[in-house]
Amino acid sequence: MNKIKNHVDDLFEDIPKSEERETIKQEIYQNLEEKVYDLMVQGKEEEDAINKAIVEFGNIDEIKSELGVFSTNKDVKRIERAKIDLNFSIWGSILIIVLMVFINMYYSPSTIWFVYPTFAVLWWPLSMFYRWRKLK
Amino acid sequence: MIRSDIIRGHLESIILRLIYENDQYGYEISKQISVRTDNRFQIKEATLYAVFQRLEKKALIESYYGKVSHGGKRKYYRITMLGKAYLKETAREWKETKEIIDLFMEGLD
Repeated sequence: MNKIKNHVDDLFEDIPKSEERETIKQEIYQNLEEKVYDLMVQGKEEEDAINKAIVEFGNIDEIKSELGVFSTNKDVKRIERAKIDLNFSIWGSILIIVLMVFINMYYSPSTIWFVYPTFAVLWWPLSMFYRWRKLK
Repeated sequence: MIRSDIIRGHLESIILRLIYENDQYGYEISKQISVRTDNRFQIKEATLYAVFQRLEKKALIESYYGKVSHGGKRKYYRITMLGKAYLKETAREWKETKEIIDLFMEGLD
Protein backbone atom coordinates (compact mmCIF):
# COMPACT_ATOMS: atom_id res chain seq x y z
CA MET A 1 0.00 0.00 0.00
CA ASN A 2 3.05 2.19 0.25
CA LYS A 3 2.87 2.63 -3.48
CA ILE A 4 -0.48 4.40 -3.17
CA LYS A 5 0.81 6.64 -0.42
CA ASN A 6 3.89 7.52 -2.43
CA HIS A 7 1.81 8.22 -5.47
CA VAL A 8 -0.51 10.56 -3.59
CA ASP A 9 2.53 12.29 -2.09
CA ASP A 10 3.95 12.78 -5.57
CA LEU A 11 0.70 14.18 -6.88
CA PHE A 12 0.57 16.82 -4.19
CA GLU A 13 4.24 17.62 -4.24
CA ASP A 14 4.04 21.04 -5.84
CA ILE A 15 0.97 22.22 -3.96
CA PRO A 16 1.86 24.57 -1.13
CA LYS A 17 1.40 23.06 2.30
CA SER A 18 -1.81 23.92 4.08
CA GLU A 19 -4.33 22.27 6.31
CA GLU A 20 -6.72 22.01 3.42
CA ARG A 21 -4.13 20.20 1.36
CA GLU A 22 -3.47 17.66 4.11
CA THR A 23 -7.17 16.99 4.57
CA ILE A 24 -7.85 16.36 0.93
CA LYS A 25 -4.68 14.33 0.59
CA GLN A 26 -5.74 12.13 3.45
CA GLU A 27 -9.19 11.76 1.96
CA ILE A 28 -7.86 10.76 -1.44
CA TYR A 29 -5.41 8.36 0.08
CA GLN A 30 -8.10 6.74 2.18
CA ASN A 31 -10.49 6.37 -0.73
CA LEU A 32 -7.84 5.01 -3.06
CA GLU A 33 -6.97 2.37 -0.48
CA GLU A 34 -10.60 1.50 -0.27
CA LYS A 35 -10.77 1.18 -4.03
CA VAL A 36 -7.75 -1.08 -4.08
CA TYR A 37 -9.28 -3.35 -1.41
CA ASP A 38 -12.52 -3.43 -3.31
CA LEU A 39 -10.78 -4.37 -6.54
CA MET A 40 -8.91 -7.11 -4.70
CA VAL A 41 -12.16 -8.46 -3.33
CA GLN A 42 -13.33 -8.63 -6.93
CA GLY A 43 -10.38 -10.91 -7.63
CA LYS A 44 -7.61 -8.62 -8.80
CA GLU A 45 -4.01 -9.06 -7.74
CA GLU A 46 -2.80 -6.33 -5.39
CA GLU A 47 -0.34 -5.03 -7.95
CA ASP A 48 -3.01 -4.80 -10.65
CA ALA A 49 -5.48 -3.21 -8.29
CA ILE A 50 -3.01 -0.51 -7.26
CA ASN A 51 -2.09 0.24 -10.84
CA LYS A 52 -5.72 0.45 -11.89
CA ALA A 53 -6.50 2.83 -9.06
CA ILE A 54 -3.57 5.03 -9.99
CA VAL A 55 -4.33 5.06 -13.70
CA GLU A 56 -7.98 5.86 -13.14
CA PHE A 57 -7.22 8.73 -10.84
CA GLY A 58 -7.17 11.35 -13.56
CA ASN A 59 -5.59 14.74 -13.68
CA ILE A 60 -4.51 16.37 -10.43
CA ASP A 61 -4.75 19.83 -11.99
CA GLU A 62 -8.49 19.84 -11.39
CA ILE A 63 -7.94 19.64 -7.67
CA LYS A 64 -5.14 22.15 -7.84
CA SER A 65 -7.39 24.75 -9.36
CA GLU A 66 -9.97 24.13 -6.63
CA LEU A 67 -7.29 24.60 -4.02
CA GLY A 68 -6.46 27.90 -5.63
CA VAL A 69 -3.19 26.76 -7.10
CA PHE A 70 -3.80 28.02 -10.57
CA SER A 71 -1.20 27.88 -13.24
CA THR A 72 -1.04 31.65 -12.81
CA ASN A 73 2.36 31.23 -11.25
CA LYS A 74 3.69 30.14 -14.59
CA ASP A 75 1.84 32.92 -16.39
CA VAL A 76 3.22 35.56 -14.09
CA LYS A 77 6.70 34.34 -14.89
CA ARG A 78 6.00 34.42 -18.61
CA ILE A 79 4.64 37.96 -18.43
CA GLU A 80 7.67 38.95 -16.41
CA ARG A 81 9.96 37.49 -19.04
CA ALA A 82 8.03 39.13 -21.86
CA LYS A 83 8.41 42.46 -20.07
CA ILE A 84 12.17 42.01 -19.81
CA ASP A 85 12.29 41.13 -23.51
CA LEU A 86 10.29 44.23 -24.31
CA ASN A 87 12.60 46.46 -22.27
CA PHE A 88 15.63 44.92 -23.89
CA SER A 89 14.21 45.41 -27.35
CA ILE A 90 13.38 49.07 -26.68
CA TRP A 91 16.86 49.88 -25.37
CA GLY A 92 18.52 47.80 -28.06
CA SER A 93 16.63 49.47 -30.87
CA ILE A 94 17.28 52.97 -29.44
CA LEU A 95 21.01 52.23 -29.42
CA ILE A 96 20.95 50.91 -32.98
CA ILE A 97 18.93 53.91 -34.21
CA VAL A 98 21.24 56.39 -32.44
CA LEU A 99 24.23 54.68 -33.99
CA MET A 100 22.65 54.90 -37.43
CA VAL A 101 21.83 58.58 -36.96
CA PHE A 102 25.37 59.23 -35.84
CA ILE A 103 26.95 57.43 -38.80
CA ASN A 104 24.52 59.16 -41.11
CA MET A 105 25.30 62.65 -39.79
CA TYR A 106 29.02 62.06 -39.47
CA TYR A 107 29.82 60.49 -42.84
CA SER A 108 27.02 61.55 -45.18
CA PRO A 109 25.05 64.49 -43.75
CA SER A 110 23.79 65.39 -47.21
CA THR A 111 21.65 62.22 -47.63
CA ILE A 112 19.24 61.15 -44.94
CA TRP A 113 19.23 57.36 -45.06
CA PHE A 114 18.98 56.44 -41.40
CA VAL A 115 15.17 56.23 -41.58
CA TYR A 116 15.36 52.99 -43.57
CA PRO A 117 17.28 50.94 -40.98
CA THR A 118 15.17 52.66 -38.30
CA PHE A 119 11.97 51.25 -39.77
CA ALA A 120 13.56 47.84 -40.07
CA VAL A 121 14.72 47.90 -36.45
CA LEU A 122 11.34 49.07 -35.12
CA TRP A 123 9.86 45.66 -35.90
CA TRP A 124 11.78 44.31 -32.98
CA PRO A 125 10.26 46.32 -30.10
CA LEU A 126 6.91 46.27 -31.88
CA SER A 127 6.74 42.48 -31.94
CA MET A 128 7.91 42.32 -28.33
CA PHE A 129 5.29 44.84 -27.33
CA TYR A 130 2.46 42.83 -28.82
CA ARG A 131 3.75 39.60 -27.33
CA TRP A 132 3.78 41.24 -23.91
CA ARG A 133 0.32 42.69 -24.44
CA LYS A 134 -1.06 39.33 -25.52
CA LEU A 135 0.22 37.68 -22.34
CA LYS A 136 -0.97 40.46 -20.08
CA MET B 1 -17.95 4.72 -21.94
CA ILE B 2 -18.47 8.39 -22.67
CA ARG B 3 -16.45 11.17 -21.21
CA SER B 4 -18.48 13.99 -22.50
CA ASP B 5 -18.29 17.65 -21.62
CA ILE B 6 -22.03 17.69 -21.42
CA ILE B 7 -21.95 15.35 -18.44
CA ARG B 8 -19.13 17.34 -16.90
CA GLY B 9 -21.36 20.33 -16.59
CA HIS B 10 -23.79 18.29 -14.52
CA LEU B 11 -21.39 16.49 -12.24
CA GLU B 12 -22.30 18.72 -9.33
CA SER B 13 -25.94 17.73 -9.66
CA ILE B 14 -25.11 14.06 -10.09
CA ILE B 15 -22.98 13.99 -6.97
CA LEU B 16 -25.46 16.10 -5.01
CA ARG B 17 -28.19 13.66 -5.92
CA LEU B 18 -26.20 10.72 -4.61
CA ILE B 19 -25.40 12.52 -1.37
CA TYR B 20 -29.05 13.57 -1.14
CA GLU B 21 -30.11 9.93 -1.09
CA ASN B 22 -27.79 9.18 1.80
CA ASP B 23 -24.54 10.36 3.31
CA GLN B 24 -21.65 8.87 1.41
CA TYR B 25 -17.89 8.91 1.14
CA GLY B 26 -15.76 9.41 -1.94
CA TYR B 27 -15.19 5.92 -3.21
CA GLU B 28 -18.79 4.95 -2.58
CA ILE B 29 -19.95 7.77 -4.81
CA SER B 30 -17.61 6.98 -7.67
CA LYS B 31 -18.66 3.37 -7.46
CA GLN B 32 -22.34 4.29 -7.41
CA ILE B 33 -21.89 6.35 -10.54
CA SER B 34 -20.25 3.46 -12.37
CA VAL B 35 -22.83 0.96 -11.18
CA ARG B 36 -25.88 3.07 -11.95
CA THR B 37 -24.66 3.97 -15.41
CA ASP B 38 -23.67 0.37 -16.02
CA ASN B 39 -20.08 1.54 -16.52
CA ARG B 40 -21.06 3.81 -19.36
CA PHE B 41 -19.77 6.71 -17.34
CA GLN B 42 -16.98 6.65 -14.80
CA ILE B 43 -15.84 9.59 -12.80
CA LYS B 44 -12.14 10.16 -12.30
CA GLU B 45 -11.13 10.54 -8.68
CA ALA B 46 -9.39 13.80 -9.41
CA THR B 47 -12.62 15.21 -10.79
CA LEU B 48 -14.65 13.87 -7.91
CA TYR B 49 -12.56 15.54 -5.22
CA ALA B 50 -12.45 18.76 -7.15
CA VAL B 51 -16.26 18.74 -7.20
CA PHE B 52 -16.38 17.99 -3.47
CA GLN B 53 -14.20 21.02 -2.84
CA ARG B 54 -16.43 23.18 -4.95
CA LEU B 55 -19.66 21.95 -3.38
CA GLU B 56 -18.29 22.36 0.09
CA LYS B 57 -17.13 25.88 -0.62
CA LYS B 58 -20.59 26.74 -1.85
CA ALA B 59 -21.98 25.21 1.37
CA LEU B 60 -24.11 22.77 -0.58
CA ILE B 61 -22.60 19.82 1.27
CA GLU B 62 -20.74 19.37 4.52
CA SER B 63 -18.41 16.66 5.70
CA TYR B 64 -17.81 14.67 8.84
CA TYR B 65 -15.58 11.79 9.76
CA GLY B 66 -17.06 8.35 10.03
CA LYS B 67 -15.73 5.00 10.96
CA VAL B 68 -12.20 3.87 10.38
CA SER B 69 -11.69 1.69 7.36
CA HIS B 70 -8.79 0.69 5.13
CA GLY B 71 -6.27 3.48 5.11
CA GLY B 72 -7.89 5.73 7.70
CA LYS B 73 -11.11 7.44 8.66
CA ARG B 74 -13.74 7.77 6.02
CA LYS B 75 -14.82 11.30 5.23
CA TYR B 76 -18.54 11.35 4.69
CA TYR B 77 -20.57 14.05 3.04
CA ARG B 78 -24.08 15.14 3.78
CA ILE B 79 -26.26 17.55 1.88
CA THR B 80 -27.21 20.88 3.44
CA MET B 81 -30.53 22.68 3.22
CA LEU B 82 -28.99 24.95 0.64
CA GLY B 83 -27.80 21.90 -1.25
CA LYS B 84 -31.29 20.47 -1.36
CA ALA B 85 -32.70 23.70 -2.70
CA TYR B 86 -29.93 23.91 -5.25
CA LEU B 87 -30.52 20.34 -6.36
CA LYS B 88 -34.21 20.98 -6.81
CA GLU B 89 -33.43 24.03 -8.87
CA THR B 90 -30.93 22.24 -11.12
CA ALA B 91 -33.40 19.40 -11.62
CA ARG B 92 -35.97 21.88 -12.84
CA GLU B 93 -33.40 23.57 -15.02
CA TRP B 94 -32.31 20.28 -16.50
CA LYS B 95 -35.87 19.33 -17.35
CA GLU B 96 -36.26 22.52 -19.27
CA THR B 97 -32.88 22.20 -20.97
CA LYS B 98 -33.72 18.68 -22.01
CA GLU B 99 -36.98 19.80 -23.54
CA ILE B 100 -35.25 22.51 -25.50
CA ILE B 101 -32.47 20.29 -26.80
CA ASP B 102 -34.97 17.58 -27.62
CA LEU B 103 -36.77 19.99 -29.92
CA PHE B 104 -33.72 19.91 -32.14
CA MET B 105 -32.37 16.43 -31.57
CA GLU B 106 -35.42 14.26 -31.82
CA GLY B 107 -36.50 12.33 -34.88
CA LEU B 108 -33.11 12.33 -36.57
CA ASP B 109 -32.25 8.62 -36.44
